[in-house]
Amino acid sequence: MRPLQAASPGLSDAGNGAGPGPSRVPVVALHGVRKTYRLGEHVIPALQGVDLSVQRGELLALTGPSGSGKSTILNLCGLIDTPDSGDIVLNGQRVNGLSEDQLTLLRRDAMGFVFQSFNLVPVMTVAENVDYPLFLAGVPAAERRERVAAQLAAVGLQDHAHHRPDALSGGQRQRVAIARALVKRPKLVIADEPTASLDSHTADQVLDLMRERGHAEGAAFVIATHDSRLTGRCDRVVALLDGRIQ
Amino acid sequence: MTHTAASTATAALAPRGLGAWTDSLKWLQFAWHNTLRNRRRSAVTASVAALGTAAILLAGGFAIYTYESLAQAAARDTGHLVLGTPAHFSSDEDVPLQHGLDGVAELRTALLADSAVRQVLPKVEFSGLISNGDKSTVMMAVGVDPDGEFAVKGPFLTVTQGSVLAAPMEGATDEPEVMLGADLARSLKAEPGSSLTLLASTTEGAMNAMDVRVKGVFSTGVPEMDKRLVYTSVTTAQRLLVSERVTSLGVFLDRMDSTAPLQQRLAAQHPALQVQSWEQQAVFYQAVKGLYNRIFGALGIIIGVIVVFVVTNAMAMAIIERTREIGTLRALGTLPGQLLRTLGLEGMLLGGAGAVAGALLALGVSVLLYVVPMEMPPPPGRSVGYPLNVAIDPTLYALTMLAMVGLTLVASLAVARKTVHMPVVDALAHT
Repeated sequence: MRPLQAASPGLSDAGNGAGPGPSRVPVVALHGVRKTYRLGEHVIPALQGVDLSVQRGELLALTGPSGSGKSTILNLCGLIDTPDSGDIVLNGQRVNGLSEDQLTLLRRDAMGFVFQSFNLVPVMTVAENVDYPLFLAGVPAAERRERVAAQLAAVGLQDHAHHRPDALSGGQRQRVAIARALVKRPKLVIADEPTASLDSHTADQVLDLMRERGHAEGAAFVIATHDSRLTGRCDRVVALLDGRIQ
Repeated sequence: MTHTAASTATAALAPRGLGAWTDSLKWLQFAWHNTLRNRRRSAVTASVAALGTAAILLAGGFAIYTYESLAQAAARDTGHLVLGTPAHFSSDEDVPLQHGLDGVAELRTALLADSAVRQVLPKVEFSGLISNGDKSTVMMAVGVDPDGEFAVKGPFLTVTQGSVLAAPMEGATDEPEVMLGADLARSLKAEPGSSLTLLASTTEGAMNAMDVRVKGVFSTGVPEMDKRLVYTSVTTAQRLLVSERVTSLGVFLDRMDSTAPLQQRLAAQHPALQVQSWEQQAVFYQAVKGLYNRIFGALGIIIGVIVVFVVTNAMAMAIIERTREIGTLRALGTLPGQLLRTLGLEGMLLGGAGAVAGALLALGVSVLLYVVPMEMPPPPGRSVGYPLNVAIDPTLYALTMLAMVGLTLVASLAVARKTVHMPVVDALAHT
């Protein structure tokens, strides 16, 4: 079973985000995006004409109360949901209308995800969890081994490579999740409340790690958060209310 | 990251051979670990597949053994091929041997010239009365070539008293000999050495009688046959019927699979005669085979349905529990097809483990039955049982195991299909 090749040559660069390129082209941009959800007979407007762009290497925090549209923006930027109207542009390429498989390949090649509850695969070891995105991308085994080792060392978990996630603390699991998100050197990392399940000390460590690794790898972060400590360390904060940017 | 830290981590990974896995093995490893998540559920699922496999193999093996036994018995009884006049196979006779064969000696010589032919045995079938002087009863008699018949067929009769027939000596003046079915002998109060009289209509339509001496008493295992059947020599039968003809010739071969080719050859060489195979003659074999095929076919379908339901249920639980994880894997860039394949592999692993265990179980039981013989009760219409044996047929084993793996694969894919195509957002929100 071989992983498929990249969906689009323009987005297949899984290399270092700090390399040459059109620096003014946003990693991801939303133009006039609207999204509604239906709950029975109720139509709930989640986003009402949002324009947003995220530059390479930028740490962008999305804040706002529950239901303000943070998660919807994350889902749209992460290509796991589609807008009712408006455009999503990834690295200068409009992605509206792409098939599910094409979107999957774009996520595989260009994105990393960090979830609030870590979402590690419990039957895989720490190393296998971090290795998984590289395996999907078809990176040769020897290179994968090197890159996984480097990422685990970068997040301070080199001694836990063969542990299962359930043997780790919450902070360690989130570090594994960050290593998994960054190991393929994505252009964009989507992080949904990455510190919500962590105590303040561990949350600080995770924040430092995301900031340090993000800058080192040249990855843009879009982070949905309620955590004021996190917003204070981001490059830009976007506040949302009722599906609109304030 | 320092160089030292990276080197340490690389070294830590190397012994586990992370990079040594091929892609396929990686998916297989992932599937294997997933089957071990809930060991009890996986064990129950594999056990059901194992029991289903064993049941199919044992039932199928028993059927195959029965078919082979019946086929050999049928071929041994009539001969692999039977030669007669076309009228013999299609019409009733008005008088004995009306549709019989002439020139048997030449025909027999010609048949024996074929290298595939082991023996050619004449048979004279007739009916009449048999009497002890006080009591007469109906008989079904068969004239056989005693030496050839018992040499070719082996111990096809259970001799309960006396001994088997011997060919009459050239010019002998002794009383002709007969063998009687056990119930017929009891009815006539006859035993070896007793004198009886055979009465039958000749080929001219006149009645003829002949005194005979009982050589032995036998049992066929079929009570209805034991009440009526009489064996005598062809010569005795021809003398009684006043004819040189025989009813038919049984052609016995070295190998069962030579039957069809020789049937074609003989039909071409003897266009005036008709050649039928043992299978065409063996109505009982066809009936049993048809019945068993239906019974064991239905059994196989029922077992297959049970296995599919159990695997479907187990996989459904396993997949629903992992919906959020499937959403995560999809978000990370796993294609639905890749997830389907790994979930299908999980089903195949369960089915494969069950199939192997079931095959080993069936093999053990089959071997045990050969080592420790067991007897089946007599079938309807028979008075003796038969050995319970189960054939070990490689083709049956291969097909059953493949079918079991295929069924579990299909069941897994059917269950997984909906979940892996669920919107990623919905899968991630699943609780």
